[in-house]
This record gives sequence, structure tokens and C-alpha cells, in this order.
Amino acid sequence: MTGSEKKYPGLNPLPPDFAKEFPPVAAVVEEKCIACDRCPPICFFDAIVMEARAKHKYKRTAVVVEGNCTGCGLCFEACPVDAIVWVPDRSGLPVPGKGAPTEDTEP
Amino acid sequence: MVASGPASHDVNQVKLAEDQTIGAVVLKTACSDKFEHMRFWPRPRYKLLDWDKQMDGRSKHFTLYSYEQGYSGTLEDYWNFIKACKKRARVPIIGSIFADVVEDWVMMAQKVEQSGADAIELDISSPHRPGSLDFETTFVSAIRSVRKSVKFPVLVKLAAGPDVFQQCVTAEECGADALSLCNRIRGFDVDVETQRPILHGFFAGVGGPWAKYYTLRHLAEAVQKVKIPISGTSGVICGEDVIKYVLLGATMVQILSVIMINGWESVGRINKEISEYMARKEITSLDEIRGKAIQHMTHPDEIVRWSGEPKSGPRNDWK
Repeated sequence: MTGSEKKYPGLNPLPPDFAKEFPPVAAVVEEKCIACDRCPPICFFDAIVMEARAKHKYKRTAVVVEGNCTGCGLCFEACPVDAIVWVPDRSGLPVPGKGAPTEDTEP
Repeated sequence: MVASGPASHDVNQVKLAEDQTIGAVVLKTACSDKFEHMRFWPRPRYKLLDWDKQMDGRSKHFTLYSYEQGYSGTLEDYWNFIKACKKRARVPIIGSIFADVVEDWVMMAQKVEQSGADAIELDISSPHRPGSLDFETTFVSAIRSVRKSVKFPVLVKLAAGPDVFQQCVTAEECGADALSLCNRIRGFDVDVETQRPILHGFFAGVGGPWAKYYTLRHLAEAVQKVKIPISGTSGVICGEDVIKYVLLGATMVQILSVIMINGWESVGRINKEISEYMARKEITSLDEIRGKAIQHMTHPDEIVRWSGEPKSGPRNDWK
């Protein structure tokens, strides 16, 4: 998520017209994650799991399961270090009038 | 009981709630086909305000600001959802529906009954309901017709507001078997930095531990007038809050936002706190204290007032 980190710095504010083109989902900036275990329990859609990362400072990081994420925004509230950002939904959910995002239209 | 909302939109969650010693589950509200747009959820739709985030699962203060919508599947999915819940879990399952015309109310209620739910909650007061459907013209006939067409218990969920007492009385007259007091309030918030409304820009439901004071008052009023059981809900955060509802005569207590914020363990913790209270007060059943606080309520005329108090006279400092 290093690339998207620069483009979508977080919830406030959501980039203009972002949601009109793509349904947003959450993503974890792994470098920022402090493995505090707050976001997995607050998610009602089993969309955040902790995964082992050998090179990570805390050896673990939160990871968003994009197929489950409904973009509800609760994990943004729970994160103490703003490590969760909005990214376009690549799980193929059709957007009314736009169709599923493709490789070409992806920013 | 788990209240209707994001903690009850999935079969696994019902099982999870059961493992946490919950008493019953109210499923997420399904909307009639006319309100199909409510099955599509905006992103994002939750915001937590004034939250003591660092409490790590033991938060006592927050405001949940949300634009929650209906059950995301079709009505057919919802009936199957109820059947699956009944198959997987042993706790009572309460369906929850919203519609506007009487035919839809009746059709959905009958389907919920056929699907095997133990009761139904008519969610006539959701802060996210579309339009401005008012109680008298739309919902009174709906409650009456639903009551006539189904055999299982019918709960009516009302919102906090000045007219909720009258609505309680009317709902009882219409034949409701129980009341749920109160739904969350429709509120609004503005970000002063961006100078825009927060989140999606429309009114949203607000709730939190502070909301229990409204509900406790409405409960205390209603319980003295209506005979049917009342299910208290709003801002329950610990076992003590449940005891407060019971002391004011609530038969059931529903929780939700505490599960969202502090996790499913809250259910077990709340139940443990209730047991501790009962042991401390040496009671074996909550029935012993149900409604106990009501008899100690005072009429405004009986409140002791002091006269001739020099401090209470007009201040003349401005001379």
C-alpha cells in the first residue's frame, strides 16, 4: 500500500469525487501499523486479520480482506496511528453506471 | 438481547452472540422492495465522536454517528437468513422489518413467521428511515393489521421524542405485545474545519452511553401506563445500566453499540456484572427488583422546596 499511501492520505478528507468513481475500501499502511490488535475486533465483516510479517518492526501487521470490506469506516476510527487509508475497491464490485474498475481506469 | 443492527446481519454473529451467553437476538431490519436503495450501503457510514479510544475495549464514552441501512440482501435472502439462524442457534430469534404500506407490512410479517422467527419487531422509528412517515397515518394501521395477521409476539420499536408516551399507549391499544424503547435519535454534526456536515452530509443516527438518560425517562413514564412488557435499549455499557433499566420496570434489555465498540466480550462482562450485583444485593431473580425504583418516584408537587432562603432571591449586584 506504499503507492496509495501518498495518494490517499486518510479519511479526512476523502479525495474529491473519489467515491463516485470507485467504491472505497479500507487498506492498512503496513509501515505505520503498530500491531495493536484494535481493528480486527471492531470489524463486523471479518475484513481485518492480523498476519505475520518477518521484516515488520512488530513482526505482525493488520491486513484488510478486500472481498469482505464494506467500507463502513469503523476501523479508521479505531486506529490510533492513522495507518488505515481509503483505496479503490478492486474486488470487482460493480459501480452503478461505471462497471467494475479495470486495470486502465485504476489510478 | 442483541439489538437490530450490524451485530446481527450474519448467521455466524448469532452463533457468536449465543456463545457469549446472550438471551435473544433481534436481526437486522429488512426493508420492503420499495425501499430497495436501503439495501445498498454508503461508504463510509460510521463515525465515532468523543470516543475515549485508548481504553482498549473498556470505553465508557462515545457517540456513534452512523448512516446505517437495511439488511443488504433481498427479502428472499432474509427469510433464508432467519431459517439459517433458527437452525444454527438455540436462542430466540426476533425478525425486524420496515415498510410503509399496510400490505407490505403484513406480507413481510407473515413471511417472518413462516420462516420460524420467535417474534417480530416493527422498526417504525429508525433514524435512517426514508422520508417523513408519521406515526398516526402510516404506522397505527400497520401495527393493527400485523397484529391481526400473525400469531407470534409483535414488538414495536419507538424512538425517543416528545410524543413517545402517546405512541406507547397507542401501540398497546393496537395490540402490540411488547415495546422497544428507544431507537437512536436522528442527529447531525458539522466539521468546523471543512465547514461541511461530517460523513455523507445528511442527518444520521446518533447514540451512545449518554442516550440512556432519555430512554430511562421514557421508560419510567411508559411503564406506569402500559401493561405490556417493555424492552429497554439505548446506551447500555455495563451491568449497572442493565440494572437501571430493570429497576425502572424493563422486562428485556437490548444492547448493540457496546458490542461494536468494546467487542463481543462485553456481553459476558455485562452478564457477569449483573450476577455480581445480584450476589451483593442477595437477590436470586431480577423479578424481585423489577420496577422497584418506580414506586420511589416523586410527583413535582411533592418535591420539598425551601422558601425565605436569602440566597434564592434576586441579585441586586447590578446597582
